[in-house]
Amino acid sequence: MKTKSSIKFSAGFSRFMFYFGNIIIGIIFVSPLIWMISASLKPEAEIFANMNSIKTFFPSHASFANYAEVFTRMNLPQVFKNTLLYIALILVLDLLVNSMCGYALAKFDFKGKGLILNLVVALMVLPMEAIMLPLYIEMSQLNWVNTLMALVMPFVAKCFSIYMFRQFFCDVPDDLIEAAAIDGCSPAGTFFKIVVPISKTVYATVFILDFVAHWNDFMWPFLVMTGENKRTIQLAVQSFFGTQPVHYSAIMAALVISAIPMIIMFIFMQKYYVEGIASSGIKG
Amino acid sequence: MAKAGNLSGRKRNERITAYFFVIPAVILLIAFLVVPMIYTAYFSGFKYQIMRPDKISFIGLENYTKLFSDKNFWVALKNTVYFTIVVVPVQCALALGLALLVSKKFRGVAVFRTMYFSPQLTSMVVIAVLWSVLYNANPNTGLINSLLVSLGMEPINFLTNEHTAMNAIIFMSAWQGAGYQMMIFLAGLQGIPREQYEAASVDGATKMKQFLYITLPGLKGTIKYVIMITMIQAMKLFTQPYIMTQGGPKNSTKTLVYYIYTQGFQKGNFGYACSIATIFFVIVVCMSLTMKKVTMAND
Amino acid sequence: MKKGMSVILGLAFAASACTVVPAMAEGGNAVNLTIWSPTDKEAVEAWWVEKLAEWNEEHPEIQVSREAIDRSDSYAYDNKIATAVTSNDLPSIFFVDGPQVSYYAANGITVPITEYFDEETMADFVPSTVAQCTYDGELYAISATESSVAFYYNKDMLKECGVDTDDLDSRTLENPLTWAEMAEIAEKCTTDDHVGTHIIMDHGEGLPYALEPMYISEGVDYISEDGTMAAGYVDSEEAVKTTQYLAELIANGYANVDPIQDEFLNKACATMLGGSWDVSILEQSADFDWGVTYYPVSDETGTAVSPCGDWSAAISKDCEDVDAAGEFLQWLMNTENVASYAAAIAKPATRNSAYENEAMAEYADGPRALFVEQLNNTAVPRPRTPSYATFSANYAEAMTNIFSDAATNGEVDADYIQDELTNVADLFTEDYETYYAE
Repeated sequence: MKTKSSIKFSAGFSRFMFYFGNIIIGIIFVSPLIWMISASLKPEAEIFANMNSIKTFFPSHASFANYAEVFTRMNLPQVFKNTLLYIALILVLDLLVNSMCGYALAKFDFKGKGLILNLVVALMVLPMEAIMLPLYIEMSQLNWVNTLMALVMPFVAKCFSIYMFRQFFCDVPDDLIEAAAIDGCSPAGTFFKIVVPISKTVYATVFILDFVAHWNDFMWPFLVMTGENKRTIQLAVQSFFGTQPVHYSAIMAALVISAIPMIIMFIFMQKYYVEGIASSGIKG
Repeated sequence: MAKAGNLSGRKRNERITAYFFVIPAVILLIAFLVVPMIYTAYFSGFKYQIMRPDKISFIGLENYTKLFSDKNFWVALKNTVYFTIVVVPVQCALALGLALLVSKKFRGVAVFRTMYFSPQLTSMVVIAVLWSVLYNANPNTGLINSLLVSLGMEPINFLTNEHTAMNAIIFMSAWQGAGYQMMIFLAGLQGIPREQYEAASVDGATKMKQFLYITLPGLKGTIKYVIMITMIQAMKLFTQPYIMTQGGPKNSTKTLVYYIYTQGFQKGNFGYACSIATIFFVIVVCMSLTMKKVTMAND
Repeated sequence: MKKGMSVILGLAFAASACTVVPAMAEGGNAVNLTIWSPTDKEAVEAWWVEKLAEWNEEHPEIQVSREAIDRSDSYAYDNKIATAVTSNDLPSIFFVDGPQVSYYAANGITVPITEYFDEETMADFVPSTVAQCTYDGELYAISATESSVAFYYNKDMLKECGVDTDDLDSRTLENPLTWAEMAEIAEKCTTDDHVGTHIIMDHGEGLPYALEPMYISEGVDYISEDGTMAAGYVDSEEAVKTTQYLAELIANGYANVDPIQDEFLNKACATMLGGSWDVSILEQSADFDWGVTYYPVSDETGTAVSPCGDWSAAISKDCEDVDAAGEFLQWLMNTENVASYAAAIAKPATRNSAYENEAMAEYADGPRALFVEQLNNTAVPRPRTPSYATFSANYAEAMTNIFSDAATNGEVDADYIQDELTNVADLFTEDYETYYAE
């Protein structure tokens, strides 16, 4: 016969194991981030020292000197403003345009639907590296080089996002839409007033994935933008790599600074995942 | 009668809305994906040195005949396929495992999700620099090899041996990319009604059974989708070989996109690069349309 | 004001992208010139701001602005130039890395500037930079700074391993270290804790750059003097022998096949073939006693050779007023500017008269003086050929393969080296004949 306390103990033990496992795996995943942070606090000569031992993950005497260097070399407020502005523009348009398209492909019947769906799927695989030059030539012909248009417009429509929205909206029950229509809601009204509010999870997912992709983008902004007052975060970080002698300590500090907004954004967007469980009760 | 009229009115209304909904995306896709693709196909018919826009000459299919006898192209194709076949199951399984670990709401769940996703939040440059050092061939400077040596094993030249370089990149890529697919699995797991699990545990089903009979079937659509996007991302492999191995040693990590990039930019053979890119488009478009047939079969 | 100016410039620039806008420019008769050069450290950025303000003040008719180009490596910068070329978006003046001068010149991307620099002026520049910037008898670029490579050694480690460091310290250009001596030091200094030497600067341009003197010293350069042929040069018997020597250092474990960043600074190797730019980093961070001696020479010939080449300014084909740009470059490369720029960027200056300037005082003796001595006496520029970009990429790939092969098998396969180098020569020939042969 099991006593209450032993049940409690075994539940406690399995909870402990659960956390323990999560922490171990978590550490493996988060190690580069730790290494990056630790390297950013070390003097230059120490970064690649002790690479053969665990000591490499801990600075022996931490200092913020590298951060001071980054702050003097990088016009951070300007750089953050430039980057956030263009990413915000892309994301607003991205979420709007692609979710509408995904919804139409999921819930409406119209001529050409199959064709568009095929187009979306077929274009999903186009790697940026392969079409970069023709795309640049196009930007140049449109006179968009060195303007915000060149940074934003090519990246608004994304096949991945459209497809992800479509997959998600397919699962929204037809009854719900039917009910809204009977209540006198127009098809567009149903989408914006009924469907969007219960779809926080998918919006959050697309937001996170696209934010990260653009935040880390280097090559395209590098090619189309010239000028200090247009510099984006990755351009500013990359300039540390190209300046001889290369100071890895400063690079790591710059990278840590550039990662902070993403981490904050991620933790913030997390909320919608947890909330998503409660609000999507009608689903399935 | 009136009702039927109403209904067809609604249908028409729906159709108009549908066009309004799809047109912005379709126009943008055509303008910034299809048009560059057409340019690419067009330039593949020319002898075009990138520095010489004034001296372009039409050569018909010559780039393609050259391409089919170019052994580097076939090697790049083989490497791309190999990478894809291996990395997809590994990465998807890893991602699903991670998603299951953090799918429920518990204290600190946001922290763990952030940890698993963090390789995505860290710049690829940092990851590549760090892993190059972890993989370093000399036990004095490489963490993994110093571990192997202390266990009494021989050190391995991970990135400088043509038999291990691609596998080393595969392992790192699966680890780095799993957080991304985990996010999508998490979104999918939200869609499985909680009541099903509650009913099952009342019936005394074990966790394993619940996983096999509720979770997996419930995730069917998501799994297909994740496999598809992982495959697509795998076909695009570029950054890792670019930073870590420059396609070597002995071409063992040269992928199609890397080959397109080096031919087009580094060596300036823009016309030739366009012909590789065109073939690449044909391959991947066929692949994704086939996959679409498979993934959407049960929708 | 400055901001407004650059916005206008930026817009004017974008407008000229598609259609050719006649030079009826805004703002009266003033010529506007734009410069692209890589972003650099604070001191260099400040130098540009100060100097351009000075120029613009004195020359209201020629207004110059500069755009700092952020780059992760020189490939990224070249990509930016290449894309700008496809759409005629080039600035009036842009900086080019040494070996690319001939590539851009042969393709008509840059224009000759010989007429802006008279013989007397050119005689003041170190011969290596003049050679690097000359293509087909014309000067196509002009540089304020130079670079070089020499043999660094960690005195503490060498002493521990029984190497006579006083002997190394006392070497002169007449009596430099030989390959055999270098290999011997590398062997002696390879221990459980560190390898003996370091020969791989990076897996890109660093390979052809840092290793070329080995080949020239043995007797045959990568490519023929006129830049048209690689067959019989990079795949010659001498080249195979040179490569074999290098691969043996790897095969024997005296040098790492994939060295970590800052291997020498981190005491993971006892010696290295390192750049002139490493001096400042070692002075700042090294916690051991170190020295530098001349680039090692072949035992067969004893010919002393050293690398050179650095970023140079060139005038682009899209420049609206080449004379104005030429006038500006004359001023930019005067002795005083060269001296202050070289001091700011911490690189050797190209003009001998610049060393009399007090800004360059630290070049009077020590490791820095050694690099200047090499530049004046033994430096040879990288091949001047329009196919250099192709050559460089293929050579780097071949060397990486050869070194990997040596490391994996623990021995050197001369036939494999021959195959790889023949392949490099073939690819060069193909590129040259496709795009440049008459």
